[in-house]
Amino acid sequence: MFLTKKNFAFSAILCFGMVAVAQTDTTAVEEEEEDYSMYDNLDFVDEATKRFAPVKIKGISPAKLITVGYDFQGSYDMTAGSFATDRGTYAEQTAEVNSTQGLRVEANIPVISKNSLVVQVGARLWDINYDFENPQSLTNPLLTNLQNNNLTSIGLNSTIYKPLNENTFLLFRVAAEMNGDYGLDKLQSMSYNRYSIAALWGKRPTDNKQWAIGISRTYRAGEMNYIPIIMYNWTSSNNKWGTEILFPARGHVRYTVNSRNMLFAGFELEGNSYRIGNDGGALSDSDFDELEIRRSELRFRFVYERQLKGFVWVSAQAGYRYNYSYNVDQVADGDEFFRGFFGDQEYALENDLTNPLYFNVSINLVSP
Amino acid sequence: MKKIISLVSFVFVLLISTSAFAQEPADRLIGIWEPSHGKAKVKVEKIGSKYYGKIVWLREVKDPETGEAKVDKNNPDEKMRTKPLRGYRILKDFQYTDKDEWTEGTIYDPENGNTYNCIVKMTDENTLDIRGYIGIATFGRTDIWKRLKMPSKKK
Repeated sequence: MFLTKKNFAFSAILCFGMVAVAQTDTTAVEEEEEDYSMYDNLDFVDEATKRFAPVKIKGISPAKLITVGYDFQGSYDMTAGSFATDRGTYAEQTAEVNSTQGLRVEANIPVISKNSLVVQVGARLWDINYDFENPQSLTNPLLTNLQNNNLTSIGLNSTIYKPLNENTFLLFRVAAEMNGDYGLDKLQSMSYNRYSIAALWGKRPTDNKQWAIGISRTYRAGEMNYIPIIMYNWTSSNNKWGTEILFPARGHVRYTVNSRNMLFAGFELEGNSYRIGNDGGALSDSDFDELEIRRSELRFRFVYERQLKGFVWVSAQAGYRYNYSYNVDQVADGDEFFRGFFGDQEYALENDLTNPLYFNVSINLVSP
Repeated sequence: MKKIISLVSFVFVLLISTSAFAQEPADRLIGIWEPSHGKAKVKVEKIGSKYYGKIVWLREVKDPETGEAKVDKNNPDEKMRTKPLRGYRILKDFQYTDKDEWTEGTIYDPENGNTYNCIVKMTDENTLDIRGYIGIATFGRTDIWKRLKMPSKKK
């Protein structure tokens, strides 16, 4: 069955015609009609392939890869409790704090990103500076220590998301933090590091909802505690409203103006345990040393997040900072103990803070 | 003479046909793929020397807010916001390099209207690592896409 000259010509035209069509630039939206119903029921080529619950739900705010922020609390009063050491007796003192402010830098980078496993590694550096109204009048060593030394947090953490099937998942988070009145040029001992862990089991019944329950060992209440966790992320069908809740760490109602503008109202529980007296003085006397501030505060706030350009977002939050704890414990050799909500161990120092307004602004590089 | 012309024609057509049907390594990208979220299916085609992928299936075809077919309402370009999502080309301009990678392309996320740089890596014949990123690949996210069977032609 040899081809004729006519067939040869036709074949050649057909071939060159195909090449010509293939070179047409059709990067624009496909206009031609296609019977899309043929794609309704398609199986995986690899029959062993499983579907897994994705880590995100529809409409949730973008994850922040890198954050550079500034946190500012307005004026409030700090009352430091009385105590006695070999050196002397120090009376309770109330002093006005003009402001408490500092830089907050964080990074959270996904290192494994598969359908069946997501692992993210993060780091943070927070700085808290106390600016007292009248530093010369400070007599209580806790206040003078805070005036002279910043509180610094350096932390490393990892979050692991492990979906078990299409709608069930596990979530783990571990964190190690060095918190105290040390300087970056002279870090405190690693034996004072504080460790947190959380484990959750959850469901993702729809693209618009995921929830989980779990348990955490956390310092968000200032001192080490074991606290149940509830996660509830939800987005309405019209994509306008939603919740982003990881109780008790934070909870927000979200309003999406559009995919580049979001408003939130809610709270965050922020806290940790800070080693103090690293530079000596009355807070490191032989009978009154190994001290840690159990700092915990509730921040009721409004947050506005918007895309600046591309993947750069700005976040601005303002609200009311409510002091939950600023007491001081003696933690010998950094060996943590458990008081919980009902323990009766006495604090080394009982302090009180009044509650100011605060704001926080940050520039963020967000995840795709 | 007639037989010689016919023979040459046959060999010519055979050669072209062979080259057309033998799948080049680059063409292994062609097919139907499902992203990890399972909300869409994407058909990858070759146009010219580059590869493009368009949405051919959506789990949720209609916008619950309007009851109409979903459109690209988050697109930063207002003119595109009335374009239907089904049929929308979200992968563009990919070129095969080597080592089972297609680069120089972009991926569009209709959920936020962002376009990302993208590298496609075939980890096996039926699995793609789709890495969308910002500037440098470190700041990105990888999604795993799985190959679906080709649809049978309707009679």
